[in-house]
Amino acid sequence: MSERLVDILVTSFPRILGQGLMVTLPLTVISFALALVIAVICAMIQIADVRGLKQLVRFYIWIVRGTPLLVQLYLVYFGLPDLGVMLPAFPCAVAVFALNEGAYCAETVRAAIEAVPKGQMEAGYCVGMSYVQIMGRIVLPQAFRTAFPPLSNSLISMVKDTSLAANITVMEMFMATQRVVGRTYEALALYSEVAVIYLFFCTVITKLQALGEKKLNAMNGGNVIRA
Amino acid sequence: MLEVTGLKKSFHGREILSGVDLTVEKGDVLAVLGPSGGGKTTLLRCLNYLERADAGQMTFIGRTMDMPRLSRKEIAAYRRHTAFVFQSFNLFSNKTALQNVTEGLIVPRKIPRAQAEERAMAALEKVGLADRRDAYPSQLSGGQQQRVAIARAVAVRPDVIFLDEPTSALDPELIGGVLEVIRGLAEDGMTMVIVTHEVNFARHVSTRVLFMDQGQVLTAAPTAEFFEEQKLERVQSFLRSLDRKDD
Repeated sequence: MSERLVDILVTSFPRILGQGLMVTLPLTVISFALALVIAVICAMIQIADVRGLKQLVRFYIWIVRGTPLLVQLYLVYFGLPDLGVMLPAFPCAVAVFALNEGAYCAETVRAAIEAVPKGQMEAGYCVGMSYVQIMGRIVLPQAFRTAFPPLSNSLISMVKDTSLAANITVMEMFMATQRVVGRTYEALALYSEVAVIYLFFCTVITKLQALGEKKLNAMNGGNVIRA
Repeated sequence: MLEVTGLKKSFHGREILSGVDLTVEKGDVLAVLGPSGGGKTTLLRCLNYLERADAGQMTFIGRTMDMPRLSRKEIAAYRRHTAFVFQSFNLFSNKTALQNVTEGLIVPRKIPRAQAEERAMAALEKVGLADRRDAYPSQLSGGQQQRVAIARAVAVRPDVIFLDEPTSALDPELIGGVLEVIRGLAEDGMTMVIVTHEVNFARHVSTRVLFMDQGQVLTAAPTAEFFEEQKLERVQSFLRSLDRKDD
């Protein structure tokens, strides 16, 4: 490896990682947190069969899952200004990622709630609890254990999907890399570098997922011991 | 204390209960016997509004209620006087044995935690599982789970406990312990309605027997009378068929 290349990699590393920590991570964390809120609300509306709202939720999920994320980003950032709605790039990206991931996670959460045996609900009623109390204390905690691995999956996807925000001028990790490539023409080395950083982020999440599962299992009486 | 008349329930156009009447007095242990598919479980589930009856009047501690039209609030108020033990236990799987018992005390009844735990421990003591207070349902045997479920039912100090085939899901060697616990409750004077296939248990523990077949009550009588002076051919043949199984 030439001295020049090493130099480019070393000097670009803190810049790229810096954008990662300051833009990619916050974008992911904020969007995903909002997505979870949307997901739980949408799942609850469907489970509780709230008339009118349920159709609205199905419609939302249908639209979001049926169109590409990149198109959604363009629509909101470049399209909505035609209607006078102009959002800065970062909030715009947060809104699109949250709404997009929220639709997918809503299905994950709904499936997880439906997987909780109906006897849990009945037992809750029989000890005198209300629907909301049973949902909050019995059903959702159990559903969360089921939903945790697929939700971690979604989070990992989102870390990488945030690179699409470069298309709407969000200066995240990938765009920062593109800038350096534009100046130095070292595409292979620099895109490899940013790939390694993405890989590192996702590895951390994977480790956290394993820890989280262990903790959740302990709260549900432990794993089955494999023979 | 609990009186039901004209209870009807259909599923998808098939009538499962066609006008059931029953009376439970305070301190009664009413055993509900009869062949499978006769509507016993549906009857019990209707009594606690886990299924909504199509028709029927219920009088409970002096209050008469129209079963199909009882509001959610009235059902909740009624359920605070009752408890239910399921065939498949239905312990809260994300809660320990102790939490399973305290949940109904702390959450809907607003009893302070310390007091609730004291009461729950007394209930667990009664079913012989005080030492498993911190175990999760998945760490307990079926028999232990059912005993925790009974403790959960007892701890809310209900006026009546409904038990739906409490031993049917258990291995034979675990049945005895659960029946022993239920017998203890009967001796304490707890009012219970038990759907069961354990005829011997019904003979020795219940005070009254109600026999159901094809959605109807064929007979309801004090236990001794039911077994010793049974005149109905249908009931006699049912009891004989069970005797044969015991051999």
